[in-house]
Amino acid sequence: MYPLLVLMVCLGIRCEAKQVAVIVDKSNSVGALSTAELTKLFKCDTRKWPDGRNIVVVVRDPSTPEMKVALQKLYKMQPEEFNALLAAHHTGLVVVHSEQELLKSVESIPGAIGLVDVYSINGRVNVVKVDGKLPLEPGYLLKGN
Amino acid sequence: MISSKLQKLVLSICAPLLLCGVSPALNRPGSIGLEITTKSPQARAYFESGLAKWQTLYSEEGLANWRKAVKADPDFALAHIFLANFSTDPAEQIQERDRALSTRKFAGPEEQLIVDWISNANEAHWIPAIQAMNEALDRYHDHKQLFWMAGMWLTGQQQWGRATRFYERAIQLDPEFADAWNSVAYCYARTRQFDKAFVAMKRYTELLPNEPNPQDSFAEISRMAGRFDDALAHYHASLKIDPGFVMSQIGIGDTYALMGDEARARKEYDLAMPKAPNKILASQWSLQMAITWVREGDYLHADQAFRALAAYAHRDGLGNIEAEAYRSMALYQEDHGSAMKLLKQAEAVVHETHNVPKLLLDQELASILRTRIERAVQDKDMAVAEADLKQLGQLASTSSDGQVDMFYEGAAGTLAFARGQYAEAVDHLKEEDRNPFSLERLVDAYKKTGDKKQADAVADELAGFNEPVIDQAVVVPQFRKAHALAPGHQESAREFRYEW
Repeated sequence: MYPLLVLMVCLGIRCEAKQVAVIVDKSNSVGALSTAELTKLFKCDTRKWPDGRNIVVVVRDPSTPEMKVALQKLYKMQPEEFNALLAAHHTGLVVVHSEQELLKSVESIPGAIGLVDVYSINGRVNVVKVDGKLPLEPGYLLKGN
Repeated sequence: MISSKLQKLVLSICAPLLLCGVSPALNRPGSIGLEITTKSPQARAYFESGLAKWQTLYSEEGLANWRKAVKADPDFALAHIFLANFSTDPAEQIQERDRALSTRKFAGPEEQLIVDWISNANEAHWIPAIQAMNEALDRYHDHKQLFWMAGMWLTGQQQWGRATRFYERAIQLDPEFADAWNSVAYCYARTRQFDKAFVAMKRYTELLPNEPNPQDSFAEISRMAGRFDDALAHYHASLKIDPGFVMSQIGIGDTYALMGDEARARKEYDLAMPKAPNKILASQWSLQMAITWVREGDYLHADQAFRALAAYAHRDGLGNIEAEAYRSMALYQEDHGSAMKLLKQAEAVVHETHNVPKLLLDQELASILRTRIERAVQDKDMAVAEADLKQLGQLASTSSDGQVDMFYEGAAGTLAFARGQYAEAVDHLKEEDRNPFSLERLVDAYKKTGDKKQADAVADELAGFNEPVIDQAVVVPQFRKAHALAPGHQESAREFRYEW
């Protein structure tokens, strides 16, 4: 018997639900974005924050679970198309190779924004609402299995 | 070896000394790998004893010790938050959370982060909860109990992979941390990595050879893998070690129930019932017992058993369980009108219940609506199904609970399938992948979309679904029969080495 199972009246799911948080550096006062705004921002169609700072989009390889969710729900692109987007934007887009690197980049680069598994967030970044919702709230956009 | 070490340390040495007034430091990580701040040595001893008990599945004793700890030191924030997190009594959870918050100022920094994490989580404030948890793990990366607790919490969030990593870290910090081996084995089993699960479980039994829980866990993992005979052998081994270990007695009942020997299952449940440690567990076991009649197709006795349970739950103020009894009855009714009447009755119970946390009531209401949509679609009453989906959607949009969201997804998939929108049905149904009804329909949806490989994979998963719950009883045996599939899981017997 597993102690927690005593408490669990309902069934657990086998396949993990993946919820992706949109994070920005602590000094960023933007607390909420619409899906449309977020999409423009991540596609580098929007280049500056309202306070005039440059936007730096921090992303990982398209094969990571977080980016798969983003490609499906936000970019609405295939991985090849995303790679082409990366190639076309040498400035304003930073590719990192681990979750830790992504968190550290968003923490330290002014104007940075990134996508991370919600269970990885720490107190050194802010989480942005998408269409008025935070991760793990019903109806949140950036989720998948 | 945390459990035996703690038992030895706390029960044999520390507790008597501390109870006699030996003064420890007020704030120190201590031998157990967790900061503990209390002005009372007695409270500390009770707390550590409670942890040891909890981690060997003497849950009630664990809770009792933590209750004694907060009695000895009402300002003991860590003990309050443990009670808030682990109590099965919803009222106690809320009361202890509030007390943990009011005594937070007396706690050390690690404990304050734990209070922030658990109290926020209890109120569905997920972002600050996760931030506090990760902050604690980052700062105290060598505190094995902290990693164990994070693993427990993430398991509750169905984050098996992340929980696995934290349990593995706890084991890395202490390779003899018995409960971490137990917990990681369950994570492996939940992700159907049974080969790794059995290796971890073997280690757990080696670390605590004289405890019943390792044998009980081994049994449960075996049952999950469809190895019913092995499961029974391990449950009996557990009871040989401790005849009072009632969870193993229930496990024997569950195993016989899943094997199809319902009369034997009821006899085994009967042996356990008088030993139920609380009314919540007693009512859960009564649900499991009532399900045996459903498996036998004896709906008259099933109705009687569920109605008796509903009356018992009503008397004891367990509204969600009373409603669950009516919902369960609706699942096997042959007559559409009877099923709908029972579901209305279940819904009415939820609405009139006020002494159960809203979260549990929301989950039950969502489950009722999900079942009503299932029945309505089966009976081609699309107007009811559409109206209920709307209501379930509204509930999901106001509830912060992921379970409610999953019920909505399953229901949306059910309706999409009924409309012939198979790709959309797949997208929704796979979000509710521990509901046999959704899995069964997902098999068909994959077939309709031409994805035979996925259809076969889900069919295997459904056939291997060995949980003693009503939805399994209604769906899985018939599914196995129709598809000539076995309940077991075939896994390799190779040994694994752990390299962390």
